[in-house]
Amino acid sequence: MRQSQFARYRQTSTSAGTVADPADQTVPGLAKEARVLPEGVATAGILLVVWILLVAVSAIDKANFLSRETLLSVTFTMAVLGVLTVGESLVTISGGVLDLSIPTALILPAWVMATLLVDGINVWLTILVGLLVGIAWGGFNAAIIVFGKLNPIIVTLGTNFAGFAILGIYVQNAVIPVHSGLATFGKGYSLFGLPNVFWLMVVVVALAGYLLPRTRLGRRTIAVGGNPQAAKMRGISLRKTRFGVFMTAGLMAGIAAVLFAASQQTFVSADGTNYLFLAIAATLVAGISLSGGSGHLWVTFLSVGLLSTIPTSLAFFGVPTLWQTVPAGVILVLAVGLDGYRRLRSAR
Amino acid sequence: MRAVLSASRSTEGSETSRRNAIGALLNSPIGSIAITLVLIVLIGLFWIGTSFLTGSNLNIVSTSIAVPLLLATCSAFALLAGVVDLSIGASAGLNATIFAALVLHHWNPWSAALIVACIGIVIGIVNSVVIVRLGAVSIAATLGTLSVLSGLQFVANGTAGSVTVLVPGLYHFANTSVGPMPLVVVLLVVLVVVAVYVVTSTRLGRHIRAVGGDERAATRAGISVSKVRVGSLILSGLGGALAGVLYIGQLGGATNTLGSDVVFLVYAGVMIGGYSIIRGGVGNPAGGAMGLLVIAGVTDIIAVKSINTYYTDVIVGALLLLAVFFDRIRGGDAYE
Amino acid sequence: MRYKPWPKYRTLGAVGALAVIVLAAGCSSSSSSSGGSTASAAAASKNFKVCMGTGGQQGLDWEIGQGEVLQSIAKQEGWQSVILSNDNSASTAVSNVGVFVQDHCNVVVEFNGQPSANPVMALKLAAAKIPAITYDIGQKGWYFVGIDNLKAGTEAGEAFGQWMKQHWNCDPDAVVASQGYGAGIVNTERTGGMVTGVLEACPNIPKSKIFNINGNGQVSTTLPLARALLAAHNSWKKIAVVGINDSGVVGVLQAAQQLGRFADAYGWGQDGSLITGSNVNPHLLGSVLYFLEGYAEVALPVIKSIEAGHPLPVRDNTNGNNPTEQVTPCPVTAAQAQQVPDFNTDVQKVEAAPPGTTEYSLLCPNK
Repeated sequence: MRQSQFARYRQTSTSAGTVADPADQTVPGLAKEARVLPEGVATAGILLVVWILLVAVSAIDKANFLSRETLLSVTFTMAVLGVLTVGESLVTISGGVLDLSIPTALILPAWVMATLLVDGINVWLTILVGLLVGIAWGGFNAAIIVFGKLNPIIVTLGTNFAGFAILGIYVQNAVIPVHSGLATFGKGYSLFGLPNVFWLMVVVVALAGYLLPRTRLGRRTIAVGGNPQAAKMRGISLRKTRFGVFMTAGLMAGIAAVLFAASQQTFVSADGTNYLFLAIAATLVAGISLSGGSGHLWVTFLSVGLLSTIPTSLAFFGVPTLWQTVPAGVILVLAVGLDGYRRLRSAR
Repeated sequence: MRAVLSASRSTEGSETSRRNAIGALLNSPIGSIAITLVLIVLIGLFWIGTSFLTGSNLNIVSTSIAVPLLLATCSAFALLAGVVDLSIGASAGLNATIFAALVLHHWNPWSAALIVACIGIVIGIVNSVVIVRLGAVSIAATLGTLSVLSGLQFVANGTAGSVTVLVPGLYHFANTSVGPMPLVVVLLVVLVVVAVYVVTSTRLGRHIRAVGGDERAATRAGISVSKVRVGSLILSGLGGALAGVLYIGQLGGATNTLGSDVVFLVYAGVMIGGYSIIRGGVGNPAGGAMGLLVIAGVTDIIAVKSINTYYTDVIVGALLLLAVFFDRIRGGDAYE
Repeated sequence: MRYKPWPKYRTLGAVGALAVIVLAAGCSSSSSSSGGSTASAAAASKNFKVCMGTGGQQGLDWEIGQGEVLQSIAKQEGWQSVILSNDNSASTAVSNVGVFVQDHCNVVVEFNGQPSANPVMALKLAAAKIPAITYDIGQKGWYFVGIDNLKAGTEAGEAFGQWMKQHWNCDPDAVVASQGYGAGIVNTERTGGMVTGVLEACPNIPKSKIFNINGNGQVSTTLPLARALLAAHNSWKKIAVVGINDSGVVGVLQAAQQLGRFADAYGWGQDGSLITGSNVNPHLLGSVLYFLEGYAEVALPVIKSIEAGHPLPVRDNTNGNNPTEQVTPCPVTAAQAQQVPDFNTDVQKVEAAPPGTTEYSLLCPNK
């Protein structure tokens, strides 16, 4: 069965406060819906408009908002967050609700890489090891989920509890050597004078968004997230898909760790927790449904961009930095409220 | 003849049914958390000795459990109704700050507490508007309110980063003991007992469980899903506010990050005790309280043995996974 | 109620797994932990117990060091010791005091990163008649051992100001203060003190040129805020950075680098955590070494006097009485800092030296 790019496997109406129970399905098969205006485009449109509005308002107020420096400020924030959001979104699309182990998934590879670089190991080997560590962490989560048959949001809550605590024991101030290739990469710019780390993120997001509906794993991810029972009946191995999803998310975390270590260069384990909320917010604001089975990865570029522009705009407006976290929270509430309202309306 | 037969069958029946009842109790979430709790106590006795169960140590354990227990009991109704309220920690922290600031500015502590309670109710209303009225997923929506509230908490604590105030009456209330147990904890145990009664033996409790278990069936049965959920979210918000006041009594001050770590602990505790954040309708307040006790017990053992406290989190994480694993074996939803 | 028969082996397995986890964690950690009252009780010959609540902030190795140095002193003196982490949480700090009271500690040392809880803790310790020593954060009734944060900040600020006089003719385009509001009075004295010191050396800098960001003393939280601030003022060419600690300052310097303006920003830090070793940011001009981990050496005479039965002297640094300089700050330029060994070597050296030898006397390059 060929699926068009905008057809998704939709759940029947989800209850307002809970994640949909697969047993709720009144239609045991797949409900393919080709919509005239796919929801993803609507969300993307809204995000783009809000983002442009934010930029416009900031620029009207302060003329030098539209400068290269603002762009740099925003793109550096987008780099790590963008890749992490891809991983988080994949987990959500696959029906895993949320991956709460991002703090550990980010800091563990970063710490391993910092330790290796300080010991003088070759940069490329270090990066490879970092990516493998990220994949291994994802595989570890997947193993508990698959063999224990437990919901990923709870599993990742537990593994992060434990993993983050262990990191707290071993990781103090980790520093990337100033003259290592990684640090140079992290400081440098390329196309249009934008940072290397930003372009790497763009490549990752573009690839991931392109590959999701076009690879077997990607299509299976969407199918499993939309309706696991139906997917199983079609012969999709749920186990293999879960492992694939979480190890890919781990790979994303590993890549994010490379960008993180490269651009920040000095970090402590507590830095990981800052990214968890933002990654979840970016995923949800991009319209990726917590019930799984739907969502477009490219839209996360917009949500990450919006969330990354806010601190810079606030600084331009002279808002005291104590207020920093409030706007992101407000946007999240509005976004999920809007999303829920749309779902309620379409369910009636 | 039939009467004799039926009589003997009924005596047999009552014996097997008694065994069945005991077996069912042991296998239920309550049973397994109780077993875990007993295990923790045994480990504590084995490792620390009889001083583990002295009044002073029980006092330490129960003091550390007070705020989480208050938050858990108030939010567990929402969990039962199928709604997860993640904003309780930030609500406690923000309300603690506001309460402290008001008292510092010479407000009467009772009026300040009343104001803060109203704020808690407002937070509950906001949550319910977004979740029930607008249909947002509760985990996401309350994550949003959490970050708004904690941001406001940062602002309220200002450049000093904290608000310190010692309220004598409140401090004594939070620190007096009835025998070996703090008064606060005794009151909270009463609250838990009331909650258990409501959940298991009243019509309201049945309605809440019905709403959480199967929303559509509940609607068909004539139960107002939105009323139940709104009510439970408001209770949850009120719990956050009261916890904030309790914080001031226990700690003598509020900080800009107060309450940020308590959310995960509360939900890990109630999940260890049999609740679920992905499906409503399951869980018992007594189980939740015991789950929190298990965590508090582990924390206490590790503190008294002066082991690196990071290991507490490792153990709690493992316990959480084990608890949901056994819940699944017992017949809970398997995640495919 | 459904009753699903539960195979016995699963029960055994569950119990066994739980027991294994808990016992394994305990056994493996008590051999490698910084605490372990059983271990120290075995070696202790005197009936004197020293207890400490360490800061517990992630990433600050000196907070762990404070506990380790106290423990090593206790071992050398034949005392018992109980070291607990306050986990950077007010409720844990209060709870730890409960454990100390229950353990009948003879003296309690506190480094409480959430000092709003200190009054309550003081009430409890006073009720139990346990004398308390506090590092760096004053509390009425507790003996204050620490840096005069205000003096350390002002000295660092003045040194930086002198540099600005030389290089920038006392005319920077901005003074960025990377605050750490969560640290309360310590932040006001350190960061505020640095600004005061800069203004003393360069009185003509107007207040309007001072910009505050809530960097929270960490690079990760400082970076995005500093980037935003610098992008909003892209005309700045001479940016002076002060902050509550080295990480807060380095965060701003890195932000400048990311925006391509590294040449414009210079900073002076505090606490010395990023000024030693081989990865020092080239624009971090200097810092102030407190040798925080070695505070126990400075506190030793007081602890000994408590052991001898003398009452705790009144020296709590509140109301400005007895301004303490018991821990002498060691302001260093980046060049001087190169003579100071790394953190772990510092701890080894001070533990190897006879009790009471301060790190300042051992390691400060410009006494």
